[in-house]
Amino acid sequence: MSSFAEHSTDYAVVESEPPEQLGRNLNTAGHLLASATAFFFLAFVFAYFYLRALNNAGLWRPRHVNPSLTLGTLAIVAVVASAVLIRLGLMDHRAGRRRQWRLKGWLALGLAGVAVALQIAEWATQGFGPADGGYASVYLGWTGLYAVFLLAVIYWIETLLATATRYRKIESGAPPAGHASGDSHRTGHDIHDPLSLVRPSLEALSFYWAFLAGIGVLTWFILYIL
Amino acid sequence: MSANAAVPTPPRRRVVGYNLLTGLVLGVVGYYVGWWIGHHIHATSIGYFADTNQNDIAVFLGYFLSVVGFLAGLGFLSYPWARVRGYPPSLREKETAGVARYFGLCTDHKVVGIQYLIGIGVFFFIGGLNAMLIRFELLRPGGQAFPAGNYLTLVGLHGTMMMGIMSSAILGPFANYVVPLMIGARRMAFPRIEALTFWLLMAAGTLLATTIFFGGFPTGWTGYEPLNDQANSGMDSYIVFFGLVGISMLLLGLNMIATIVTMRAPGLTWSRLPIFCWGVISTASLMLLASPVLIAALLMATLDRTAQTSFFIPSAGGSTYLYQNLFWVFGHPEVYILALPGFAVVLELLPVFARKPLWGYRLAVAGMLGVTLLSWLVWQHHLFVSGINGDLRPFYMLSTELISIPTGFTFLCGMMTLWRGRIRYTVPMLFCLAWFFNFLIGGLSGVFLSDVPSDVTTHGSFFSMAHFHYTIMGGLVFTFFAAIYYWIPKMTGFQLNDRLGKIHFWTMFIAFNSTFAPLFAIGFMGQPRRVVTYPSHLQFLNDWVSVSAFVLGASMLVFLANFVWSLVFARVPAPRNPWGSRSLEWQLPSPVPVHNFDKIPVFTDDPYGYGDDDGRVPAVVPVGAPAGGGS
Ligand SMILES: [Cu+2]
Repeated sequence: MSSFAEHSTDYAVVESEPPEQLGRNLNTAGHLLASATAFFFLAFVFAYFYLRALNNAGLWRPRHVNPSLTLGTLAIVAVVASAVLIRLGLMDHRAGRRRQWRLKGWLALGLAGVAVALQIAEWATQGFGPADGGYASVYLGWTGLYAVFLLAVIYWIETLLATATRYRKIESGAPPAGHASGDSHRTGHDIHDPLSLVRPSLEALSFYWAFLAGIGVLTWFILYIL
Repeated sequence: MSANAAVPTPPRRRVVGYNLLTGLVLGVVGYYVGWWIGHHIHATSIGYFADTNQNDIAVFLGYFLSVVGFLAGLGFLSYPWARVRGYPPSLREKETAGVARYFGLCTDHKVVGIQYLIGIGVFFFIGGLNAMLIRFELLRPGGQAFPAGNYLTLVGLHGTMMMGIMSSAILGPFANYVVPLMIGARRMAFPRIEALTFWLLMAAGTLLATTIFFGGFPTGWTGYEPLNDQANSGMDSYIVFFGLVGISMLLLGLNMIATIVTMRAPGLTWSRLPIFCWGVISTASLMLLASPVLIAALLMATLDRTAQTSFFIPSAGGSTYLYQNLFWVFGHPEVYILALPGFAVVLELLPVFARKPLWGYRLAVAGMLGVTLLSWLVWQHHLFVSGINGDLRPFYMLSTELISIPTGFTFLCGMMTLWRGRIRYTVPMLFCLAWFFNFLIGGLSGVFLSDVPSDVTTHGSFFSMAHFHYTIMGGLVFTFFAAIYYWIPKMTGFQLNDRLGKIHFWTMFIAFNSTFAPLFAIGFMGQPRRVVTYPSHLQFLNDWVSVSAFVLGASMLVFLANFVWSLVFARVPAPRNPWGSRSLEWQLPSPVPVHNFDKIPVFTDDPYGYGDDDGRVPAVVPVGAPAGGGS
């Protein structure tokens, strides 16, 4: 075999990486992801003001294009409440109140789901479609893609809660053999004390979710209030 | 060592399992499932193929589920699914022995680097073949081989493939491979995401090639509206391709920055960071922030083509300028995503082959960061003749011309490093020196395009085409080959043939200039880009260019022959540090063991202190905390 096919991981060397390393990775990634998210929605902010200023063919916003302020406001309130709950849950986690953190976490998960549901309800009842001019395009594209980001956050919250709930009896240390994710043939963990990573991941999530909720408030202000 | 380190049973080699074959099968299945679903969506508010006889919803859904199936078949979904069920995080996957790991998800950054090199090479070859066909068509003034529409698709495929795939040409293969080694880390920050960026790029390139089954696309690599909206389903391949490339670049950039910020070994301060890593950081930050704008613009185009929104349709409240703006907010940083890695390679290699420390390290860093920053403020120079408000022109003209200052820093640092150096004209060094020549011409011709009065006459002509080939091919592709000749001995453990390398270099360098220098003249004489015919008095110059281009293509075959001969047949083992570099990756054995370092190194000195000694003494000492906790 060629010489670059001979090596395989010497797990004896790489096993048991200290969890602080991945914790730092997650923290940095949360901030980088937030900046990328900002640039993504900046495109919609630009589209909104650009098309509004041009008002091509007088079709920026025909009269009947008027989404429900009530449903939109309720959705954004659910988003903000969920982000606040994750923040409070993080404070519980720091203080060692694991049960309270999980409770707030599940509640936050539910509220994020409610926000998505309210958004869908709004699309279903709004009385205009995607073909109704510039505002309708920006409104549907923006809220639709924001909902996709909400689904991603829901996934993030869920994985944290699933780990925290599954191993709620274990304070620290590695989960039992056979519980490693990834390669099915391995029983060991390549991170030393992987359960301690719930905290840094929650820190990163709390930051990112607050940031995304902030973008949500901006979205709400531009689309409903301006 | 730690008790839980034992690997009880090695994985069985199976044809059925998570690998490339399964991925391809599920990719095809996914496509037809999406196609089928797309034909069963009937929303009353969406008259999606009332005015045409095509169903873009079906094509987009087909592509989407094809990618999902491909990734599922490679095994990318099993980890997220394990996390949903609450299993704790892990880092490494499929880091098994043998060649099988090159054909699937593998989290070893060195495997991903080699995967990238081969994968990018394949698509680079396809894009190059398209260029050969373009030059074949232009041998005669009238149309000869391709109808005008097919010619446009050919040009679009060449441009899109090259811009999309080659954006990762240095960061994909080489940064993934050497950055962890340079900074003393055992892995990238997010190994699974690293593998994902590679496979997304491969899916993207493959889907772009399928555009020929849907009639191709007429827009060139920029995808301008309203042509984009009016084009047939072949346009969907372009949109999906660039969208996937955008996601891949975003994640690649994020991973690179996170790695360099958080995983440097003890003692590797920012002022000691290898200059290559600074180039990677600059490029990665552009990837991280510019790609989202591209993805957003393409999603808008997708909605226009499927859900009948009107982002880019002026008669329905949209604007085609919106697309031009969004595209170039991404597009200009994109050209620096292509150029900056070239700077990084040149500045990394020059000290090694001039046997001198890099002159003006801080100036070089400032230059690259300056380019990164300024590249956000210039995008409207692409719209000078689009009919933008004339008052905007001076600002964008000046901001564009300002970029030559930080670019000049890079030149200055490179030149001063060469000054009185003991230069060794190795193959990688020759490619670096060619960069100075090519990029200088590319940069100077760029001034004509940034200047409004001269841009008005040169815009959209072969002049601008010659300009960006001098910067991208002359700047990026030459340094891509410098990087290959430089790092292949470390990546594979084998030497590339030096004589063939020099033949490759000289034919490529001469043929490249012979191809693109006359195009400046052709452009000045009025031949536009993307048009299949031209006035007959330009035939001699065009034929000259075409023949030169064929020689340029042949020089790539010399490289290919060298690559295959040296790595498959001759197999001359490379010494550990053939170039006498002081950088950390060269202090490791070739090829590098999977865990990179038995012990994490500690940096004690600037890694570029080339002096009177032969430079074989590394500036690191291999001490530090023993690996793993050993619980
Ligand atoms: Cu530009």
